[in-house]
Amino acid sequence: MSRLEAKKPSLCESEPLTSERVRAALSVLKGIVTSCYGPSGRLKQLHNGLGGYVRTTSQSWALLSNLSVTHPVLKILTASVQNQAACFGDCGLFTAILCCNLIENVQRLALTPAAVIRLNKHLLSLCTDYLKSEACGCRIPVDFSSSRILLCLVRSILTSKPACMLTRNEIDHISALILRAFLLTIPEHTEEHIILGKTMIVPLKGQRVKDSVVLPGILIEMSEIQFARLLPFKKADVLKVALFGMSLSGDFSDTGEGTVMVSRGVSLENAVLDQLLRLGRQLVSDHVDLVLCQKVIHPSLKQFLSTHRVIAIDRVGGTLMEPLSKVTGTQPIGSLDSVSPNSYGSVKNVCPAQFGFKHFLHLIPNEVSICSLLLCNRNDTAWDELKLTCQTALHVLQSTIKEPWVLLGGGCTETHLAAYIRHKTHTEPESLLSDEGCTQTDLELIAEAFCSALESLAGSLEHDGGETLTDMKYGHCWSVQAGSPAVVSWADLLSQCGCGLHNSQEELSWSFLKSTRHPIAPDTCLPQTATDSAGSLTVDCLTAKLGGLQVAVETANLILDLSYIIEDKN
Amino acid sequence: MSENMQTHGKHWKSCCQWKCISQALLTFQTHTLDSIMDQYLSRHFLSIFSSSANERTLCRSSSELLLEAYFCGRVGRNNHKFISQLMCDYFFKCMTCKSGIEIFELMDDYFVELNVGVTGPPVSDSKIIAGLLLHRDFSVYCPADGDIRIVMVTEAIQPPFTTSGSEFFLNSETQFQTSQFWIMERTKAIMKHLNGQNVKLLLSSVKQPNSVVYYAALNGISVVECLSAKEVSLIQRITDLSPFVPQASSQYDISNTALVKFCKPFILRSKRYVHLGLISTCAFIPHCIVLCGPVQGLIEQHENALHGAFKMLRQLHKDLDLSYIRYASDQNDTLSIPVSKNRRENDQLVETGNKSIQRPYQDTVVKDKDDLEKTQTYLKVYSNLVVSDIELEAYIPCSTPELTSEDTFQIDETLRCLSPGEHRIIGDCAPLAEGNSIANSTTENMRTEIFCENLQITKITRKQSMSPVKYNSLDEGTCQSYYSSSIPAGSVLPVGGNFEILLHYYLTKYAKKCQSSEETMVSMLIANALLGIPKILCRYKNGKYSFPHLYLKALHALETNQPVVSSQTGLESVIGKYQLLTSVLQCLIKILTVDLIISIKRQPQKVHHQDSEDEL
Repeated sequence: MSRLEAKKPSLCESEPLTSERVRAALSVLKGIVTSCYGPSGRLKQLHNGLGGYVRTTSQSWALLSNLSVTHPVLKILTASVQNQAACFGDCGLFTAILCCNLIENVQRLALTPAAVIRLNKHLLSLCTDYLKSEACGCRIPVDFSSSRILLCLVRSILTSKPACMLTRNEIDHISALILRAFLLTIPEHTEEHIILGKTMIVPLKGQRVKDSVVLPGILIEMSEIQFARLLPFKKADVLKVALFGMSLSGDFSDTGEGTVMVSRGVSLENAVLDQLLRLGRQLVSDHVDLVLCQKVIHPSLKQFLSTHRVIAIDRVGGTLMEPLSKVTGTQPIGSLDSVSPNSYGSVKNVCPAQFGFKHFLHLIPNEVSICSLLLCNRNDTAWDELKLTCQTALHVLQSTIKEPWVLLGGGCTETHLAAYIRHKTHTEPESLLSDEGCTQTDLELIAEAFCSALESLAGSLEHDGGETLTDMKYGHCWSVQAGSPAVVSWADLLSQCGCGLHNSQEELSWSFLKSTRHPIAPDTCLPQTATDSAGSLTVDCLTAKLGGLQVAVETANLILDLSYIIEDKN
Repeated sequence: MSENMQTHGKHWKSCCQWKCISQALLTFQTHTLDSIMDQYLSRHFLSIFSSSANERTLCRSSSELLLEAYFCGRVGRNNHKFISQLMCDYFFKCMTCKSGIEIFELMDDYFVELNVGVTGPPVSDSKIIAGLLLHRDFSVYCPADGDIRIVMVTEAIQPPFTTSGSEFFLNSETQFQTSQFWIMERTKAIMKHLNGQNVKLLLSSVKQPNSVVYYAALNGISVVECLSAKEVSLIQRITDLSPFVPQASSQYDISNTALVKFCKPFILRSKRYVHLGLISTCAFIPHCIVLCGPVQGLIEQHENALHGAFKMLRQLHKDLDLSYIRYASDQNDTLSIPVSKNRRENDQLVETGNKSIQRPYQDTVVKDKDDLEKTQTYLKVYSNLVVSDIELEAYIPCSTPELTSEDTFQIDETLRCLSPGEHRIIGDCAPLAEGNSIANSTTENMRTEIFCENLQITKITRKQSMSPVKYNSLDEGTCQSYYSSSIPAGSVLPVGGNFEILLHYYLTKYAKKCQSSEETMVSMLIANALLGIPKILCRYKNGKYSFPHLYLKALHALETNQPVVSSQTGLESVIGKYQLLTSVLQCLIKILTVDLIISIKRQPQKVHHQDSEDEL
């Protein structure tokens, strides 16, 4: 029964961005996301006053999905960032900060939304074209014959998530595991299209991070009693597996639409059980070693199988079915009668495994494309954060196969891009102003707003009161600690740029990010060190960052285009 | 008390007035508007078809202009160009040379099935995909190459244990086991047979039992289950595939299979879809739109805009019949253009006069009450005849017999004088016969080609005919020469208030010649209201684009018979505009006839909140 209530009138708000309330809310949100950004970002603790689960995080997805925002403008922004992060895996904070910066910078200008949107779009396509072009100076090709760049990529992701609470050694360990897990999902024999396998992340909380392992195949968790009953194992070269997608409990539910009349003395239970045992006899005579069932196996059948030294495991669950059918190389069986001999699969070996306090049955496949990452961390919240980070890293590695490039991290891509746009709009504004109704001044204003949004994004990596600089040759991002003596030359004070590609001994000149300076043409050729040296680089996923850039500009444009908000409060 | 009565009296009195206005509006909407649309406005229509000989093909550049204008107010500035381009690409990809309205009907009807929304990526990642995407994953996927044969089923392939309405007596356990065994064997045999027929994909509108999926996998047949009714009918329309009924024949005869070029899983943002390369047997080449956007709401907005655009195109591709009839006789007069045509309800008709601007001829009009009455009786007789003969809907709803007195004159392009045959003819047959001898009808072929932004929009070739000699043709027992009017498919006008200014112009012109003050009033009322639209559109513009400038320019062009040039490049559908106007009028008519609003206060029902919670 629904309550009858007088309808509330809709709320109508004109020019939402000019209202103080929205500006304040936007700046709070910006403050939250900015303070989380980067390796030295601050953590946020999310908890409900009523108690319960507490989450410590610095990741956009976890943060924003728990944050309840009320104003429609903020709702658009957070939803858009969350969707971006879910879609590309990474760069959620990047998107959120850039979007906030753009809105804030543009608001200060007295330009019509139409002009702003048009020019923002032009600048965006300038960026995306540059990042996709061969001449791009902040893009490194990924060499799949060596693990170096891929490891750098994974390590950069792990370092940028401080809430995982990992030490340097642990980061190295986990990044190696993630990369190994990823490589295991690439099938050995590939045809035209590569169909990547899957990494199953198995939780093991309360253990040391160093105890985490990657295993080929699948781990099926079981109770200690089941585990004890499994022993001992009979050894064979290849184990025959029967995988059932249907119930083996002897239920008979589908009788059609008519009625079934059963004569006195006829027991359907017996009939079905008879059928089950016949199936059991067939399985035994076909030399099946392992029976896996998604649902329940009838105790009598289980008993029968175990007396014939066939391992029977039931209640595997729906989520494991697809990986299981991949590992065993077979389709689930859906019939009690006449099971075709073709429908049995195989695994190389099955062995019991014990990790920490948990017991597993480990299925080792003949051909690996499914692996299990047994992930350990000290407590719940750190484990959750680590799991999210691992998923991000795996996702990013997958997209790197599609687009085999990485972008320079540590803010260098942002400052380089800003320098490039400044240079472009300064030297060839005609190409950007080709279409109707924008003046050169408009373009300069918007380009400045756009570039400073990118630069202050790079500046957001610094949380400890330090300064951010950029060099006048490559346009990379350099940071200097707070309280450094002013008299020393920059070259001595700075050691490496954000991404680690250049060091300060290269006779460069620097200037503060916030200061005004002449547009420079950033050097677009990458040094040889980028591709072969042993040095560690900070790199980001190209796909995710490009997507984030596009989504940020698009969302900012969408929000800037709002001139009315009509809210139905019912 | 008496005062109260008086105010009530006043209220009712004013209500009567409203009622009268509403009546006049109705007459205007049903008669005047249609005739003006057909006779005057139609001259200005452009077409989105590039008409070469008899073939009419959709013109790409005009379609782009039409869509761009359509999406202007429906999609944000950020994406409106992109979306209109996407839509245009889409239907041009789906079209074959022989496709017409049916593909727009199909796109409108199956819009949901032809669209996939993906949240996360930027809008610019939206794309068009050849083939059909089913919004679900394979139950079993067996990779197959080459031409793939598909069958469709709408029921479970496995025979049911019992069928509805039947009873199954189980006498022994073995009987149960054998029947189960038979069911399995039968399922196996059907799947084997399908495999033998080279069927590689089974599409099912229901969930199939485990065994069917299992045997399909054993036979290398991919299975897609739980297709929606809409998806089934879409596939049927594209491929002309009828469902396979496994139980119907013992031979499992499958005459009905279709070919697909490919069938594979398609992954969009970690969600899996079935991608079918259906080979079309109709005029629609299957393609799907993948709409991306950072937020769900934005995707929905774009979906709604696209759906609306398909509806608009669908309507645009159909002639819209008007309730106005044209009469034609054989004589051609290329110079004459009908200007006025009055229809009047006969009870209010006291005087029918030609109050045209051509004063010198006004006195030639015959006015004779007796003759008029005669005509009325004639008409009463013959109007029925007209109805039965040509089945014109427009006449049927009229409860009172109508006298259609037609009043025509011609404007010579240079002299603006009347031709000798231009006599007002009311009365009996004698003067009518006279009129007939110099019957004035025009068959005018206007084929003006104007160039607008390097694109050629061909003016619709229109036959404009008119004749006042309706009675005459009836007398002679012939009715071959009149036909109903319509707005032809594909009619468009430039955006920016063009339609409104044109209609305003012709309505004011018409109002000046109206006999009854009521009709004049209504026409002027609507004419002025129409002008409000371009006024709003030009609100923020000044100088050359300001409203007064625009209005005067259009007026001048109309007076001198030059084409009205619009400052904006977009196009809009005339049919849509016309229907919108009639809807507005209908709404107004309804509002005006309401004389009293009684508000009913519903008592809020008691809420048994706590009780229900306890129950839970």
